[in-house]
Amino acid sequence: MVSITFIQPDGAAQTVQATVGDSVMQTALNNNIEGIFAECGGAMMCATCHCYIDDEWAEKTGDKSDGEDDMLDCAETEVTDASRLTCQIKVTDALDGMVVRLPSELA
Amino acid sequence: MTGGNKVMLDIPVNETVTLADLTHDPYPIYKQMRAQTPVVRVAQTNRIFVTTAEHTKWIKENPEIFSSDDPMTPMKPAFQAHTLMRKDGAEHRAERMAMQPSFSPKVIRSDWAELYEKIAKEYVSLLPRGETVDLFSELCGPVAARILAHMLGLEDATDEEMQRWSQRLIDGAGNFGRDPKLFEASDAANAEMNALFEKIIPRHQSEPNNSAFSVMLRAKNPIPLSQMYANIKIAIGGGINEPRDALATIVYGLLTNPDQLEEVKRQEAWMDAFEEGIRWVAPIQVSGRRTTQEIQIGDVVVPKAETVMTIQASANRDEAIFDDGESFNVFREKHPHQSFGSGPHHCAGAQIARRTLGHIMLPLLFDRFPNMQLPNPEDVVWSGFGFRGPLNLPIYLD
Repeated sequence: MVSITFIQPDGAAQTVQATVGDSVMQTALNNNIEGIFAECGGAMMCATCHCYIDDEWAEKTGDKSDGEDDMLDCAETEVTDASRLTCQIKVTDALDGMVVRLPSELA
Repeated sequence: MTGGNKVMLDIPVNETVTLADLTHDPYPIYKQMRAQTPVVRVAQTNRIFVTTAEHTKWIKENPEIFSSDDPMTPMKPAFQAHTLMRKDGAEHRAERMAMQPSFSPKVIRSDWAELYEKIAKEYVSLLPRGETVDLFSELCGPVAARILAHMLGLEDATDEEMQRWSQRLIDGAGNFGRDPKLFEASDAANAEMNALFEKIIPRHQSEPNNSAFSVMLRAKNPIPLSQMYANIKIAIGGGINEPRDALATIVYGLLTNPDQLEEVKRQEAWMDAFEEGIRWVAPIQVSGRRTTQEIQIGDVVVPKAETVMTIQASANRDEAIFDDGESFNVFREKHPHQSFGSGPHHCAGAQIARRTLGHIMLPLLFDRFPNMQLPNPEDVVWSGFGFRGPLNLPIYLD
């Protein structure tokens, strides 16, 4: 198992155990992480599983998928250079200890 | 959906249910199917109905096994095109993403929110006071048509045209009996739409905006013009009746549950009312997929090249997820519904619908007519198997 910490915009942190091979989105859903809606179920069609990955982990998550930036453009929440869709990040052993920050809702 | 060591069963067959029964009131039928035959062949439609939330979601999220590409549907003649709704994979993504920027929250905020509020205010202010009005035909349909016309870049089309085209496309797409009259009507609508599209291309080229037509036309790698036309027609076919039916359903739900309405007003829980309304009666009730291989669903094995109907209307009331799902209850425990679907074909207009109805229209309408009433709820006629909603909504506006 791999441990991943989700941090809410208010700073609340939740560390969960993830299964290698699952997506980070699936891990979040399995653990009822607030802010990951994943409406399209991981098809990269909705941008409701948007998160931020800090630089120190970005390399280990691998490159963005083709089309991920276009879909991120359709996110409801603020998009930054750290933005990723959690459905496109596969859990690997290299991600043990990773921090995933969740976006604030825009008014 | 592996069944472990369970014995595989033949698909049960329901010989009695008719399309007319389903059109009139499908919910008791689905309830019984969920309890007794969650995967069942409905003989009179020769299609396999899948009615539990777990299965419908799983099917939509596995397009390699359950393809949207079904050459036999009447959608192709109705739209005079093989549309993105019936495509999978990269081809579907390319056509969908070509217009997705127009529907993005960023563009809604920058371009549309103010305009939609203006349109909603204008249409609500045109409603009379002191009489009973059919809100379905006087507000729900026209306001949906006007907003969509702007979003697509078709401001030149009237509300009446938009609604007529939409209905004819839907009637054609549902023309499983291949009645030539319905295709004649959709052909005529296609001719009118094509003529308008052709006329306004120069304007979108010289004065581009963030409407879907403009965005598609000026893309770096544009999709073929024929597919732009098909995309706009899909948006017309789907973008009017769904918000129209959703609005009518939510208003009905609130007016027949006055205690909930009061609480919604107090908490300004309009977004919750929106989500509950479309959970309770999903405007699109059913979505078809075609099996690309033999596949087990629950306890039964479905052969290759079968059409399975995923019934999100039923999934939304599944006892495994929702307590008393048959009732409208804005304040029920929150669980995701499937009215926007799931997987690659997840509704592209979901955010627009939430914004226009939940953020704008519902609070505006109940603010202007805080004491509106539905004196005779029994007069409201509900109808539809594929698409469902009230056909009328006689409301007293004071």
